[in-house]
Amino acid sequence: MTVLHSITSILSQADSGMGASAGDPTSIKSDDFWMPVGASNFAAEVDWVFHFINYINYFFFVLVVGIMVYFVWKYRQKGREVYARGPNHNLPLELGWTILPTIIVVVIFFFGFKGYVSMRTVPADAYQIDVTAQQWSWQFKYPNGATSPDLYVPAGKPVKLVMRSNDVLHSLYIPDFRVKQDVVPGRYTTMWFQADAATGEDKFHRLYCTEYCGKDHSRMNQKVFVLGEVQFNDWVTKQGRWLEELAAKNPNDLDILWKVGGPRLYARCASCHTIDGTPGTGPSWGNYDGSGNVWERIQAKAVHKVDGGKPIQDFIGEGKQYATPEAYLRASILNPGEHVVDGYGNVMPTFKGQLRDSEVDVLIDMMKNLKDKDTGAPNFDAKGKFIGKMETAAGSK
Amino acid sequence: MTTLDARPTIAAEAPDNYLTFKRGIMSWLVTLDHKRIGVMYLAAVLVSFFVGGVMALLVRTKLLFPGEVSWMTAEQYNKAFTLHGAIMVFLVIIPSIPAALGNFVLPIMLGAKDVAFPRLNLFSFYLWILGAICAVWSLVAGGFDTGWTFYTPYSTTSQAGGIIPVLVGVFILGFSSIFTGVNFIVTIHKLRPPGMTWFRMPLFLWALYATAVIQVLATPVLGITVALLVIERAFNIGIFDPSMGGDPVLFQHFFWFYSHPAVYIMILPGMGIISEIISVHSHRHIFGFRFIAFSSIAIAIFSFLVWGHHMFTSGQSALMNVLFSAITFSVAIPSAVKVFNWLATLYKGSISLNTPMLYGLAFIFLFTIGGLTGIPLAVLSTDIHLHDTYFVVAHFHYVMMGSALIAMIGGLHHWWPKMFGVMYSEFWGKIACTLVFVGFNLTFFTQFMMGSQGMPRRYYSYDQLEGMAETFRIYHHLSTGGSYIMGLGFVITGIYLVHSLFAGKKAPANPWGGASLEWQCTSPPPHDNFSKTPRVGDCYDFSAVRWDEKQQGYVVDAEVHASSASSGKGH
Repeated sequence: MTVLHSITSILSQADSGMGASAGDPTSIKSDDFWMPVGASNFAAEVDWVFHFINYINYFFFVLVVGIMVYFVWKYRQKGREVYARGPNHNLPLELGWTILPTIIVVVIFFFGFKGYVSMRTVPADAYQIDVTAQQWSWQFKYPNGATSPDLYVPAGKPVKLVMRSNDVLHSLYIPDFRVKQDVVPGRYTTMWFQADAATGEDKFHRLYCTEYCGKDHSRMNQKVFVLGEVQFNDWVTKQGRWLEELAAKNPNDLDILWKVGGPRLYARCASCHTIDGTPGTGPSWGNYDGSGNVWERIQAKAVHKVDGGKPIQDFIGEGKQYATPEAYLRASILNPGEHVVDGYGNVMPTFKGQLRDSEVDVLIDMMKNLKDKDTGAPNFDAKGKFIGKMETAAGSK
Repeated sequence: MTTLDARPTIAAEAPDNYLTFKRGIMSWLVTLDHKRIGVMYLAAVLVSFFVGGVMALLVRTKLLFPGEVSWMTAEQYNKAFTLHGAIMVFLVIIPSIPAALGNFVLPIMLGAKDVAFPRLNLFSFYLWILGAICAVWSLVAGGFDTGWTFYTPYSTTSQAGGIIPVLVGVFILGFSSIFTGVNFIVTIHKLRPPGMTWFRMPLFLWALYATAVIQVLATPVLGITVALLVIERAFNIGIFDPSMGGDPVLFQHFFWFYSHPAVYIMILPGMGIISEIISVHSHRHIFGFRFIAFSSIAIAIFSFLVWGHHMFTSGQSALMNVLFSAITFSVAIPSAVKVFNWLATLYKGSISLNTPMLYGLAFIFLFTIGGLTGIPLAVLSTDIHLHDTYFVVAHFHYVMMGSALIAMIGGLHHWWPKMFGVMYSEFWGKIACTLVFVGFNLTFFTQFMMGSQGMPRRYYSYDQLEGMAETFRIYHHLSTGGSYIMGLGFVITGIYLVHSLFAGKKAPANPWGGASLEWQCTSPPPHDNFSKTPRVGDCYDFSAVRWDEKQQGYVVDAEVHASSASSGKGH
């Protein structure tokens, strides 16, 4: 066992995993051998049925294997004797071991049926959150128009998710709530739950995509935060107006929009576009081939080729398809298939309808300010967090 | 001991057996002999098993590391698990028992010279080869990353280049399966010898018959399904495309309408083998013959009614979900009762723990776990939590690998002396079986816990959220360790089996003491199996079987045996 532990610890040191830095929220850990924590109205019943089945299974397993081992020992062949005498039929026994399991499974079926019916019966007063799944991220939209990549839910109220996919099958799974539902393109699917215990914003439940959807299926995970009523209302209001609030709080330094707002929006881009030049599904915003970051690449000549060797500068300028580089960047977010950077596939989904114009502006500003204007030092770390100078000259942009 | 005694050449003693009857590669490539066809299938299936196994080890090795690794991208991982599933399902487990062992044993168990349609049999083999060539072509074309289940719309839009080739291969393999099924049905109906009523037929043949019925009825649906997928990809007709009014979930219905019965194609013959192994190696009449025979047919019929239990979270209506969940239990009960029948066969038996028997006992252990863990998956409220997690992966590996494949290997060891006229090393057989058994449980039992704790399937990495790696790492490490142990067991098995072909002790006609007809011809059998139609007795009546010291094998006193059939009670 110690050998196993040393191998495990060597392997964990070799991890290239994304660890949490201090201050980041942490997930709620399981305290049971079989099941994660139960955090929804369904969990207690699902766990009860699961454990009930488990105990029946343990019983039959021990019975079968025990009898098998005992018989193999007791009736082992002596020498080369053959033609052991034993019964070939026993009607009462055969009926018994057919009828008893049938009764057991009928009972278990009914428990499952009961629990399932309540999962499919959505309360009329449920709080509705719209869900959009696409390769490879989630977006949750609230009644006031606020959107978020992570799922925030009010505590103590039934919550209904109305879900759609923009491309292929996905499936939304929250193990702690014991809920799961496939998300199908061309349709809406629904699920509901009620979480009573608030997590605050320091702890979260894990949310997974659990229907295989291609390359980054395993990078389509999000956090679920359960907030008490007052805190939730506060959050959803602020979230709907978060960009406006950020600007309102810092009227003298609107750079705050790309310094703080940028990273928040970038989180949705991060699964395909790195910031520091590391290769990914999409071109990195950073310097990946020596020709500079994304803003520099689309300024300079003969770099950033698209559509099989054409420099993007052919499309940018007075009288051309995009009047300004900003216009090209905007189109690449809202209509990404138009010009595909060489060496990458045409796999970026459109964000039309998912980002407001003001949010697109913030992303463009972030790309323009990847480096500090005076020192050239990077303004954002590899995770997109702002690490540059917070205070700049008043009003500069 | 003279060199003549020490060197067991197959040709030296037996004047004519099917291996020496004609020589040269052409005599194998255009053979009509069911035994040779079975051996060719066996070699092909074992090679495919090796390739599929390497894919599995690649997947498991990647999962030692929660995050990205430089030596395998997510796309490569997705192709590896897809290939593992597709090879194992279509090239290995579905054909293995019927085509490799069934082809060899079925006619001999019937006392017949061959199957009803020998040319169709050879044609089925070449269809398998063509299907395998398509699989190789698909790899050259860029591979495929859709999962072996090919769910739409990902499978209709993925850029991987090998999707259409592999679908063509699956279509062709389907016909190999259908023709084998037709052949077996007709053979069993028409070529039973006088005296062998249905209820005097060995249970392995009942199992092959039930399997053949499923093969013939279900496989055409798979053919249509993959054809529709090819047409959708090539011509975008829109049947699965919502923007054109199609329905992606329709694909799942088509696919699982075949694939659920398909899993019974995999397990039923395995159960038939276990009935033979348990009975023969306990030297005892099988308990509950009629029930086991009928249960095979019942399972075959009910298997067509439960496909929706793979789709509880797909958006299928709640009513459908309830119906499928309820009917699923109807399939579970006959399977459970078979286990009780095998245990009762051990009762008052005279049990020899040779390698085939060890595999038989391993089957009972592993199938019990596999079957019991199907229950939380059939139950609606628990399945919502467990679907698409590692719990499902563990369940189906226990029934497909721990049961069907183990039964196949047990059957291979049981009939190896008959097929090749040599005995393998019992010592290494037991060692390898133990390694496979221990390794298998370590690999897959940990996956039950991983799944119920929420680990999703088909994940390249498991470190995106804080805490995921800490939660799941230990399970993945144990599981991967188990897979290496299991792999070692299989490698050792391959080595000693091949070694026995060159240096194994000569096998008697009846090394284990069986009473069915295949033990009454030489090992290996002659080209035409029996020169005269043999007399049929009760194939589970061991009263006429005794050990012969000179032959170092068992012998069946045919007179006594046949009279037991006519005078004794029927089953």
